[in-house]
Amino acid sequence: MSMRSEPPDDRDALRAKIIGLGETSLHKSYYPELQSRLAELERFRALLDQTHDAIFLIRAETGELADVNASAETHLGYSKRELLAKPFIDLISPTKKTWLAEFIRESSALLSKSGQTVTARLVSRSGTEIPMEITVRSVTFGAERYIVAIARDITDRIRTERELRIKESALESSTNGILITDLAGTVMYANRSFAGMFGYERAGAVAGRNLETFFADPTVGEKVTARLLDTHAIVQETIGLHSSGSPFHIQVSGSVVQNDAGQPLCIMLIVMDITERILIDQMKRETYAQLGKNIEQFAILGDHIRNPLQVIVGYAEMIDDSLAGKILEQSRRIDELVTELDRGWVESANVRHFLRKHGEDRDSPLQTDTDSSTLKERDT
Amino acid sequence: MSISQLDLRKFVAPEFICGYGALQLAGRYARNFGMKQVLLVTDPGVRAAGWADAVAESLAEADIAFTVFDSVSANPRTRQVMAGMEVYRSEECNGIVVVGGGSPMDCAKGIGVASSNMRDILTFEGVDRVPVSAPPLICIPTTAGSSADVSQFAILTDEGEKRKIAIISKALVPDVSLLDPEPLTTMSRDLTADTGVDALSHAIEAYVSNASSPMTDVHALEAIRLVTSALPAALEEPGDLDLRFSTLLASLHAGLAFSNASVGAAHAMAHSLGGACDLAHGRCNALLLEHVMAANYEAAPDRYDRIGAIFGPGRVTPAEKVAAFRRSLGITETLADVGVREDTIPALARCAYADPCMVTNPRSLACDDIERIYEHAF
Repeated sequence: MSMRSEPPDDRDALRAKIIGLGETSLHKSYYPELQSRLAELERFRALLDQTHDAIFLIRAETGELADVNASAETHLGYSKRELLAKPFIDLISPTKKTWLAEFIRESSALLSKSGQTVTARLVSRSGTEIPMEITVRSVTFGAERYIVAIARDITDRIRTERELRIKESALESSTNGILITDLAGTVMYANRSFAGMFGYERAGAVAGRNLETFFADPTVGEKVTARLLDTHAIVQETIGLHSSGSPFHIQVSGSVVQNDAGQPLCIMLIVMDITERILIDQMKRETYAQLGKNIEQFAILGDHIRNPLQVIVGYAEMIDDSLAGKILEQSRRIDELVTELDRGWVESANVRHFLRKHGEDRDSPLQTDTDSSTLKERDT
Repeated sequence: MSISQLDLRKFVAPEFICGYGALQLAGRYARNFGMKQVLLVTDPGVRAAGWADAVAESLAEADIAFTVFDSVSANPRTRQVMAGMEVYRSEECNGIVVVGGGSPMDCAKGIGVASSNMRDILTFEGVDRVPVSAPPLICIPTTAGSSADVSQFAILTDEGEKRKIAIISKALVPDVSLLDPEPLTTMSRDLTADTGVDALSHAIEAYVSNASSPMTDVHALEAIRLVTSALPAALEEPGDLDLRFSTLLASLHAGLAFSNASVGAAHAMAHSLGGACDLAHGRCNALLLEHVMAANYEAAPDRYDRIGAIFGPGRVTPAEKVAAFRRSLGITETLADVGVREDTIPALARCAYADPCMVTNPRSLACDDIERIYEHAF
């Protein structure tokens, strides 16, 4: 064997290595690599333990739990040791136990990579039933088949869905028309009342249309959206356009829906049919006008009575006649009646003033839009 | 049982480094095994002698953290093993380094298998009953006799039953033995003699074992030669590193021999005696060996004669030569002298009969035969 000549120190080091005394003259051992793989597994295990989902590894043959992650312990209130002593099916609510056992058996037989999902309730140590969405998947480690069940707590989701359903029902059952559009005015949602108010058979037939469709003046839709994006809220009366083409009076209350960060998401409009109220207002105005005229005529009538009566009283005081006293007595009574009527006129004027004041206030209490077109529309 | 060199045999040996300063390689080997947190097993005597600190220093130099466990007695108890296992697991250790004699080494082996299998140590009693291998084990022997640093045996005392249990498995063979003569220099005279005779017992019983092989024979005979030549001198010159190293080599050879060929009746009976009376294992072997040799002689006369020849010429039997040798070392007692009562013999015999070491004895012994041997030792 020929070797290159080496400096003495290097030759000593080489000799040490050859006889197995080098710093890294290692006997064959899988242990360091095993340690490395174990550390990797522990890191992965830590990840699994951090997930909010409860993960169960179930022996397919016996149904017993082979492993669980930390979330399973947290959700169910059992220690890992206690869980590993239980069949998985014992954790299922009695009402679904048999059904889920069959579901798992069938799912595991499929050897599906995608997994099957089912909703069931798991029973915690305290007896609380926790609604879970459980995805089961069959896997094989070595020669043994297992089922991985990943259970997600859907308590919050169910509550949110219930709240959404309530809100949706409230919107649907409102007697006011409710319209939700995007920021460009395209309809995303309309409730039944809105569809009925505007003559559409289904609320779905409204979706996708632009806001301008629903106003007699097509420019109003654009003005409404522009105004809302500027001021974030409006209330105004205008003329709606029925699907048949006939106009009718409406009051529109609008607001911009914002997210938590204050960014606009969509526009919500509440629409009321105010045709009847507008007609009543018109009738009231006419009635008040007629009342005014009548009271003025009545005042004139009082003057027409009181002036001749003054003459009659003057004459009666000057004459010496047995009837003079009677005439004066009757004149006084007539004057009292006219005075009483005058007093009634004053009270009538106060009442009319009161009615006009409060009636008009009630009819347009939230008027914020003094747009000339709106005023003109009201006058019509 | 007739033995042929063509019979199937297996020879398992750990990696071992022998020589002055081997102890200081503990840190390097621990690091190369990927150990991050070591359980350093020892006993109070070895710790007081400073050898545990020397190993700890080597680990620290290799930047390896460690936890010392020294709650180990002579004839280590199974509960001590389980206590060590608790420390191993709670400290998240991933390897064991042991410095000490047979007791800490057997305890460390037990801690290793109990930890890796997560079971009570008593459940491994018997042969090949360790399903999961123990974590890496690095041994630094401070005595020259038990050979636990190279053997597949762990002998532990079940205090509840007052008996010794044998765990025998290739999974117990340590990974590395660092054979440094220096720690031997702090042994007492009695401990040197007891452990030296223990090595002699290992070698003699392995040589006459019905599982011996040409490979184990080489080691057994060399061990007997080294013990007979070096042990008496080492007792006289305890600080002589060359003599100490010879006794260490004797122990190594004996260990390689008996770990593969096993031992026989002397060890089976010593286990029974030690478990019942809490006597030092080496001393039990010393008091029983010659009587077992006499009882076994007819089963392997050539082998026993070859052993006798190593002790020197003479017309006396090999057993008598061994008896004279141990007396020359100052071991002169009988079983009665060390406090064993004769009425315990039947129970001791029953326990010895059930010991796994009995199956490789060259002669098949019944309980009556074993009782007779015990009686001779009184």
